Amino acid sequence: MEVQSLPVDYLPILFQMLVALGFVVLTMTITHLIGPKRKTADKLSPFEAGIEVVGNARTPVSIKYFLVAILFVLFDIEVIFMYPWAVNFREFGVEGLIEMFIFMATLLLGYIYVIKKKAIEWGD
Amino acid sequence: MSALITITILALLLLYLGLFKAKKALLPVALIGLMVALVLSLMEWDSNAAPIFSNMMLYDRFAVAFSGITIFLTILIIALSKDYFERISSNVAEYYALILFSLAGIILMVSYHNLSMLFIGIEIMSVSLYILAGIKKRDFASNEAALKYFLMGAFSTGILLFGVTLIYGASGSFDLEGIKQYILKDPTAVSPLLYTGITLLIVGLSFKVGAAPFHFWVPDVYEGSPSLISAYMSTVVKVAGFAAFLRLIMFSFAPLQDFWIPMIIGMSVLSLLIGNVTAVYQQHFKRMLAYSSISHVGYMLFAIIALNGSSDNAVFVYAAAYSVATIIAFGVLILLQGQVGNDSFDSFNGLARKNPFLALTLTIAMLSLAGIPLTAGFIGKFMMFSKALSSYHIFLVVFAALNAMIGIFYYFKVIVAMYFKEEDRKELIVPVYFKLVLGFSALVTIALGVYPDFIASLI
Amino acid sequence: METVSQSIQGIPLNHYILLSAIIFTIGVIGVLIRRNAIIIFMSVELMLNAVNLLLTAFSVYWGDASGQVFVFFIMALAAAEVAIGLAILTMIYRNTNSTDINILNRLKW
Repeated sequence: MEVQSLPVDYLPILFQMLVALGFVVLTMTITHLIGPKRKTADKLSPFEAGIEVVGNARTPVSIKYFLVAILFVLFDIEVIFMYPWAVNFREFGVEGLIEMFIFMATLLLGYIYVIKKKAIEWGD
Repeated sequence: MSALITITILALLLLYLGLFKAKKALLPVALIGLMVALVLSLMEWDSNAAPIFSNMMLYDRFAVAFSGITIFLTILIIALSKDYFERISSNVAEYYALILFSLAGIILMVSYHNLSMLFIGIEIMSVSLYILAGIKKRDFASNEAALKYFLMGAFSTGILLFGVTLIYGASGSFDLEGIKQYILKDPTAVSPLLYTGITLLIVGLSFKVGAAPFHFWVPDVYEGSPSLISAYMSTVVKVAGFAAFLRLIMFSFAPLQDFWIPMIIGMSVLSLLIGNVTAVYQQHFKRMLAYSSISHVGYMLFAIIALNGSSDNAVFVYAAAYSVATIIAFGVLILLQGQVGNDSFDSFNGLARKNPFLALTLTIAMLSLAGIPLTAGFIGKFMMFSKALSSYHIFLVVFAALNAMIGIFYYFKVIVAMYFKEEDRKELIVPVYFKLVLGFSALVTIALGVYPDFIASLI
Repeated sequence: METVSQSIQGIPLNHYILLSAIIFTIGVIGVLIRRNAIIIFMSVELMLNAVNLLLTAFSVYWGDASGQVFVFFIMALAAAEVAIGLAILTMIYRNTNSTDINILNRLKW
C-alpha cells in the first residue's frame, strides 16, 4: 500500500476544482457583459408567454403528502439494518434469523397500526 | 432485562388496545403491566451480574435499583392520569404507549454497558418525550415547549455523540469496561481526544438532566408541557439522566477525577445559585417547581464530586425523595389547574380550610423538598452534604447550605398561602386515584425520613 | 475491501478529525445563531453527519466494525428525529394559521 498521501498528490484535484470554478465564473461574467438587457414588466414576469400569473406558487398541499413522506422516511431507513444481516447471513445462522424476524415483526406491527389508523388512506 | 421486554410489549399492547376501542382497559392494563415489570426487575437483584447481549447491557444492582425506582415513579404518575388525557384528545392509548416507550428507553439508560446502548436509550426516551410535550395541539405554550425541547434535545444529542466518537477514537472501544481498561493502562498519558470527548459527553448529559449553565430550556419546557408530562419529565426522566451520568463516570472515568471534578463543581454551584435565586422570584407554582428542579440537580451533582463506592446510593436516596415529593406537588397542581385554571401562589390561598388533606400532603412535599428533618428530603440532603464533607469540599457545603435556606423561603410561600391566607373558595374535588397516590407518596416521604435505614444502604 | 481501507488509511487520521471538527462547528454555530427552526434543524443534521464521518474514519483506523454499526444506529435514530421534528413544525404552522416561518423567530431561549 502507499505509505502516505503527500499534499502534492492532491494537486490534480486542485486543478480540476480551479478549472471548474473558473469556467462557471468566466461564462457567467461574459454572458452578463455581452448580452443585451431589456427590463420591461413582461420580460421580468415568471412566464414570458403572455398569460397572466394566477395565485401563489406556494399553495398549501394536503397534509396527507406530508404523512406519507414521513412514514416513508421511517420505514425506508430500517433497511440499513438488513444489509449487515444479509452480508453476514451464514455467520449469524438460525439465531440471527430469529432476531431479524423479531425486528421485522415489530416493524410490521407498526405498519399494521399505521394502516388501522387510516394514515395512508387517500380518500376523503 | 425481562422488565425491559415486558415494558416494550406492554406499550405495543396498549397501542393496539387503543385501536380496538378498549379505552376503559387502558389504565388498569398499564398499571398491572408496570407492576409486573417492577416485580420482574426486582427479581433480578444479583450482586455478581455479568454483562449480557454481547456485553451491551449489565443488569447489576445499580441498574435494578434505578429501573425499580423509575418504574415505581411511572406507576404513581400513570395513576394520576385518570381522566387527564381524555380532556386533551381522544388518542389516549398513544399517550400511554409513548410514556411506556420512553420508560423502555430509560431502562436502557440505567443498565447500559456500552455507549451505543446509552445513545439508543437516550434517543428512545427523548423522541417519545418530544411528542408528549406537544400533545396539546391547540395550545401555543405546549407547541413552543415541544419545539424548544426538540431543538435542544437534538442539539445536545449531537454534542453527546461527538463526545462518544472522540472517546471511541481515543480508546478504540464503546464498551465501558474497554474504556476503563484504556484509561487505567496509563492514566497520565491518555490521548487528548479522550479529554475533549469526556467534556463533550458531560456537556451533552448536562443538557439532558438540565444542570446549569445548560438549563435554559428547562423552565419554558416544564411550564409549557401538560402538567402530567412535566411531572414525568422532572422526576423519572431526571432520575434516569442522572443515573446514566453517574454510571458512566463511576464505571469508566473515575481515574481521571482531577480533570472533570472542577467542571462538575462549577456546574453544581451554578445550578444551586441559578435554581434557587430565580425560584424566589417566580409567581407561578409550576415555574417555581421547574427552577427548584434545577437546584436539586445541583445537590445531586455532589455525589459525583465526592465519587466513591456509595455515590450511587446517595443519588438513589436523593432522587427517590425528590421525585416522590415532586409528584405530590404536581398532583396538587393538576387538580388546581383543572378546577381553578390558575397556578399562581394566590390560588393556594385558604386551601387548608377547604381541602385539609391536599394541604397536608402538599405541606409534607414542600418540607421534604426544602430538606426539613423527619422527611425523606432531609435524609437525601444529609447524605449529599456528608459525602461532600468527607472529601473536604467545605466551601461547597457552606454554599449549598446557604442555598438550602433560600429554598426554604420559597417552598414555605406555598405553605403560608395555604394555611395563613384566608380566602373564600370552592372545595377542590379530589378523585380516588389522586387520594391514593398523594396519600401513599406522603407516607413514603415520612417513612423514609423516619426510618432512612430502609433504603440508605441498598445498592 | 482491503484496498479501500488501506487507501483510506493512507490519509492521516488528523485530517479526518479536523474535517469533522470543522463541519461539527459549522453545525453548532448554525444552531446557535440562526433563528429559523428549519435551519436549526438542518444544522443539527450537519452535526450528526460530522459525527458519522468521524466514526467511520475511526472505525477503519482501529480496524473495528463497531464504529460503523454505530453509524447505522445514528442514521436510523436521526430519521426518527426528523419525523418527529417535522411533525412538530407542521403542528406549529397549522396552529398559527400561517406557513410563514417568521412566526418561529419569536422564540428566544
